[in-house]
Amino acid sequence: MPRPEHRSITFTIDGREVQAPENTILVDAAKLGDVEIPVFCYEPKLGQPVGACRMCLVEIEGIPKLQTGCSTPVKDGMVVHTQTARVKEAQAAVVEFLLINHPLDCPVCDKGGECPLQDISYGWGGGTTRFIEPKRHFVKPLELSPLIAIDRERCILCYRCVRFSQEVSEDYQLVLHERGAATFVGTFDGHPYVAPFSGNIIELCPVGALTSRPYRFRARPWDIEGSGSVCTLCPAQCNVSFTVRDERVLRVLARQNDGVDDGWLCDKGRFAYQSVHSDERVTQPLLRDGGELRPVSWERALATAAGLLKKAGAGVAGLAGGESTNEEGFLLQRLIREVLGSSHVDAAGVDPVDLWSLARPDLQASLQDVEYAHTVLVLGTEPVDDMPILDLRIRKGVRRNRVKLAVATARPSSLDASAALSVRYAPGGEGAFVTALTAAVYGGDVDAPAAAAGADVDAIRTLAELLRTGGGDDDNRAPGDVVIVWGTRLLGADGGAVTPALLKLASGLALTGRDGGGLLAVPASTNERGLLEAGVAPGLAPGFGDTGAAGESYAEAGIARALRDGDLTALYLLHDDPILSRPDAVGWDRALEKATTVVAHAQFLTAGLREHATVVFPAESYAEKEGTVTHPDGRVQRLRPAIGRQGQTRPEWWVLSELSRRLGADMGILTGAMASRQLFDAVPFYAGLTLDRIGGRGVRWPADPAAAAAFPPPPEVRRDVAYETTATPNGALRLGTFRSIWAGIEVELSPALTFLTPRQQVEMAPADARRLGVAHGDKVVVAGDGASLEATVVLRNAASPGSVFLQTGIQTDAANGLDAALVEIHKA
Amino acid sequence: MSTPRIVNGIARYEHGSRVPGWDEAADLTKDPAGVPDPAVVEVPADLRLEIESYMARYPDSRSAAIPALKAAQQRYGWCSPEAIEQAACVMRLTPGYLAAVAGFYDQLETRPVGRRPVYVCTNISCSLRGADALLAALQDELGDAPDVNLRGFECLGACDIAPMVSVEGVYVGPVDADEIPELARQIRAGDEPLPAKQLINRPSQDPDASAA
Amino acid sequence: MTQKILFKNIDEPGLATLDVYRARGGYGERLRMALSMSRDALVEELKASGLRGRGGAGFSMGTKASFLPKGQLDKYLVCNADESEPGTFKDRELMQKCPHMLIEGMIIAAYAAGANRSFIYLRGEYEQQADILERAVHEAKVAGFIGDRILGTDLSLSMWVHRGAGAYICGEETALLDSLEGKRGNPRLKPPFPANQGLYQGPTLINNVETLATLPHIIEMGAEHYAKIGVQNSTGTKLVSVSGHVQRPGNYEIELGMSSRDIIYGLAGGPGEGRSVKLWFPGGSSSPVLTGDDLDLSYDFDTLAKAGTMLGSGAIIVADDQSSVVDIALKTAQFYRHESCGKCTPCREGTNWTVKMLERIKSGDATPMDLDLMASVCENIIGNCLCVLGDAMAMPIGSMVKKFRGEFEEYIEAARAAAERELLAGLAPTQPVAA
Ligand SMILES: Cc1cc2nc3c(=O)[nH]c(=O)nc-3n(C[C@H](O)[C@H](O)[C@H](O)COP(=O)(O)O)c2cc1C
Ligand code: SF4
Ligand code: FES
Repeated sequence: MPRPEHRSITFTIDGREVQAPENTILVDAAKLGDVEIPVFCYEPKLGQPVGACRMCLVEIEGIPKLQTGCSTPVKDGMVVHTQTARVKEAQAAVVEFLLINHPLDCPVCDKGGECPLQDISYGWGGGTTRFIEPKRHFVKPLELSPLIAIDRERCILCYRCVRFSQEVSEDYQLVLHERGAATFVGTFDGHPYVAPFSGNIIELCPVGALTSRPYRFRARPWDIEGSGSVCTLCPAQCNVSFTVRDERVLRVLARQNDGVDDGWLCDKGRFAYQSVHSDERVTQPLLRDGGELRPVSWERALATAAGLLKKAGAGVAGLAGGESTNEEGFLLQRLIREVLGSSHVDAAGVDPVDLWSLARPDLQASLQDVEYAHTVLVLGTEPVDDMPILDLRIRKGVRRNRVKLAVATARPSSLDASAALSVRYAPGGEGAFVTALTAAVYGGDVDAPAAAAGADVDAIRTLAELLRTGGGDDDNRAPGDVVIVWGTRLLGADGGAVTPALLKLASGLALTGRDGGGLLAVPASTNERGLLEAGVAPGLAPGFGDTGAAGESYAEAGIARALRDGDLTALYLLHDDPILSRPDAVGWDRALEKATTVVAHAQFLTAGLREHATVVFPAESYAEKEGTVTHPDGRVQRLRPAIGRQGQTRPEWWVLSELSRRLGADMGILTGAMASRQLFDAVPFYAGLTLDRIGGRGVRWPADPAAAAAFPPPPEVRRDVAYETTATPNGALRLGTFRSIWAGIEVELSPALTFLTPRQQVEMAPADARRLGVAHGDKVVVAGDGASLEATVVLRNAASPGSVFLQTGIQTDAANGLDAALVEIHKA
Repeated sequence: MSTPRIVNGIARYEHGSRVPGWDEAADLTKDPAGVPDPAVVEVPADLRLEIESYMARYPDSRSAAIPALKAAQQRYGWCSPEAIEQAACVMRLTPGYLAAVAGFYDQLETRPVGRRPVYVCTNISCSLRGADALLAALQDELGDAPDVNLRGFECLGACDIAPMVSVEGVYVGPVDADEIPELARQIRAGDEPLPAKQLINRPSQDPDASAA
Repeated sequence: MTQKILFKNIDEPGLATLDVYRARGGYGERLRMALSMSRDALVEELKASGLRGRGGAGFSMGTKASFLPKGQLDKYLVCNADESEPGTFKDRELMQKCPHMLIEGMIIAAYAAGANRSFIYLRGEYEQQADILERAVHEAKVAGFIGDRILGTDLSLSMWVHRGAGAYICGEETALLDSLEGKRGNPRLKPPFPANQGLYQGPTLINNVETLATLPHIIEMGAEHYAKIGVQNSTGTKLVSVSGHVQRPGNYEIELGMSSRDIIYGLAGGPGEGRSVKLWFPGGSSSPVLTGDDLDLSYDFDTLAKAGTMLGSGAIIVADDQSSVVDIALKTAQFYRHESCGKCTPCREGTNWTVKMLERIKSGDATPMDLDLMASVCENIIGNCLCVLGDAMAMPIGSMVKKFRGEFEEYIEAARAAAERELLAGLAPTQPVAA
């Protein structure tokens, strides 16, 4: 879909001539002439205007009735009046109507001071009331969910919240009941409104009807300060504004950036700030002493760590977790490579050349392309879990711009209902599936790889047809702009086969160098792309340069193996606990057990660290950090500290540079900004970036021709790799995994969110359940390759028989405890 | 839910709320109500078939919301949570969606009521001809009939037979005061209501309508 | 005597069946003729008939059909059979007694509009009529009048009866569309108008039952001939539903331009012995009321508009001199409060507030000043709402306060006095209060 363009027109408002793009909605166009038209229901983020509240009535010459400014597009020569007696009377009447039943309890209302209803009543209301009947009164506030309180007395029925639920998040849980004056906002049969994006309705509500339960009565607008930054809890990297009072984060609000988040936040991003102030935070250095981690001074921790690292020398490996900033990753690889002389440093855990090849700027789609493409293919990822805000963007494209959506996943997707086509393959068949799809687009054998993927050949062919001809109108069947949203987890599953096939698919669909189409990776962790670009990858220096190291550089799995085998002796962990976050928890447990030294930067002592870390440095939370991260579409974004560091925490860049000083190398870094400068200098396509330029909106380097030209061409990919064949169940069940949006220690440690902490469940098709004699809700044991775990059965009608799905990333019974392609299930 | 007190002709609930539902919080022990999974919610085969046949009539199957809810109501007596959940399961919608629809329409019952709807029109034309007294009298007669859902209703489109009653869709009127006990008996017994007064048999009043 | 077009032999036994209807010429030559015209010619013919919508707004049927864009889009025809305007019951009799007349009219309208899917949105309370209509639609399908390539032409049409579930607002055309799409029946913002973006976002023609049922007759007698019936700007015959305090309530087919007195007294028999007309709604409860002095107004669109009211759906509700205007106002307001969809502020809050004020008048808690307040609230509703349901309450209530202010004031005084007496009786001291 081409993005709309508008010519500029002139219209007159209150006697002033104003230029505006044609068809701009009048209330927005009026602002260009410094005229404010009051609104309640109008919120362009929610889609088409509804014209419900009638607050925005204005007079337009030539039209006898007053018109709603929120639904009128401006035209050349239009003459608008907002100050006539007729308009003022109508607006005052609407305020009067809205207030007749409003409780006017502003003194005890959380919204007071930042309330559009207050402001508009003051600005446009009559100031008196003629309503003498008793106002309606109800019990209040009531729980709408564990996160949201609802005060129905205050509701003005502007429809914003229900429109969000119905037309943005499309969860359709929040609805209006009854009708007329009896209408009220609620849910089905008293079920709580719990959904990944529910918290947005708090911000949307123009009155105090919907309030955040964690924030209620914590502060007044005049007590607080807002501080803009970026949420680093997932790869979506939404822009946020922290509400800070007395050095505490009390609330997180969206900071609209259309290139990133469209002004929405998921509930994890909105409420997990509580973990920042959790008592579980590590706030001072810890040292293992007599088998236990005990607090020590910074001096002692640094000296010990430096000593141990020195001893291990080239036997140290570094692992950065996805929450690390670009600068932290950059300094980590300097420490490991330059200071310690080791070449083993990794973040993503997959072949970095694959990621490099697929990150080419000429193949890169922007996040906004998802909204305007002709066709979007979601491949091997569940956006709502892996990059929640992307889910909203995909839905928006389908709903508003009639983007055709195709989904190709092993597990049934929450996007299936919006998709023109959904295709399933069996877990383990990732490489074969992409090979088959590529063959169907490009020519070649489809049948064999389709069979190896456990996927339906006809469905693959239909999908290929959709991708190839989805463009333009139905007659010319031209290839359109296609965005392939793909999960980088695919590379972990069968990277060797996925990368060449995906590249071929992209070129088969003419996505190379195309505006409006391309590849968009959904990384497995927040800053996967930035860490790769900063050189936290085996064998690749910052900016995909040559490390000059001889011999093999281990990736994540290699590091674990080498630690187990004694080839490596020490591990440096930056925001990472591999037992929790990496595949093969059992193997990692043994690796850490074997390591003589484990140095970690951590906010929380997860089980792996508690058990195995030698030295733990308290790490900054994202609310305390400065630095940059890189969005999956190449936008470099800036973090700014909102609060002071907790306890004795010091910045990671300082610790890394201090350690290297103690190891005899001066990194030349005295401030965080200096670390950024070093990074920008080291990465050719970051050249010219400064923190100022990045500013509050970020800079998408792939969109800058000079930066794109500086991108080093990746080596030719290997084309000889055979895809793997998915396991034949033969009575057992294939195991697939997924990571819930609610997985993560931040959720568990935020009192408001803990209720969402996922427990292990095994999703399966009803047919399999019948065969196994288990029912929905049953407790079962899932066993494979000598290990087993407990889970609750969840039946899904759309699940493919023969495959089951378990969760990773949870604290207990996580799927990465089973390193098996096939599992067996029996009643617990 | 408590029953309302009637104050000044207005139903008032505890805490002064006039509207059932306003005072209800979400039950935090429940799971959120997404689209019911057919693997988990069982729907009687005939109900499923009926709803699916409605869905097939429209370019967008959502259009079948009202017929589906009516079918579910027919089966369960009212749009109970169970009824709504089953309809939602067949239609691939959230139960919330259907509950919102049900709450909007007068003929869809969102609280338990008697299975058999009896509506007395109390709008202008009928009330000019004694509808309010008719409703009161029927309430006296039928107040204890558990399977009857007797209620006043807005204009039913039969002002020519005012005052009138719709007995499960059968319109009768004008109902004279002395016919009320008989009508009540028929309603209670499920007999044909006032056969001589059924609208369906009423000739046109236009004197020339039958002239060539 | 008015020429009968719609009601001609309406009570003929079996008229609801296909056979009898066809024996009368239904689905015959006139349908063939309509479908053999070019679409443009047919639309011109409909325009030339001067037929104005019978559902309430009185918009030219042919002109509306001409608004639908040309081209290969999915277009829809929707028959508005919601008939919920208090006092209106004409469509009911028509559909029940001669359902095929409506179906034939819909085929013609669909052809004119280029629509190939049609729906009859019928109010849910009309269960018996729904059964009859469904049977008729089925008969027409079996006989090939609905389906693919009707009468060998390129017109294909599907048709379903869609039963509503009790909501007056669903008679408003955009609310009807939302309801038909399976949503809550909330009106939509206009523009876009249904002719451009209606059902499922496709161009949609919406007409009332009576409007559509008239089409076969216009084709049969020719637009020119049809246009001669009635008066200027109000051509043809109209079904009027007369109810309330008249001796022969019922539907009457009249030639537009007939004197209102002749309808109310001549046809419907007027109020009972010794009574006189106090007020009457000329076009359903949404129309501002007229009084006994207005009985000689010609019953047509323009004359009633000039008298500050409207012909609306053609529903005349008569109240005699014994009725209380306060009671009628309260019933009216209560109806609109109950039926307000709640989407827009002035209607939702304004209807509710008006009912409360009227209740206060009844309970003796009001003063004559409240009449000004009520008038002002009504003023604040009119013209400020999303659809005209709010106006539909405010206008008649406003007209009642204006025309019967004296009676309202007397009522207020009497009610206050009664309330005071009751209060004093409640407080009745054991000892008489000393003067
Ligand atoms: C509140 C409201 C209720 C209405 N109810 C009906 C109705 O019950 N039947 C009807 O035919 N038109 C009704 N209308 C008019 C319709 O909106 C629309 O004008 C009509 O269906 C068009 O058909 P016509 O042009 O054939 O009259 C109503 C309008 C409003 C504003
Ligand atoms: S709760 Fe708030 S957002 Fe929702 S309708 Fe009421 S006022 Fe609007
Ligand atoms: S802002 Fe325009 S009607 Fe609400």
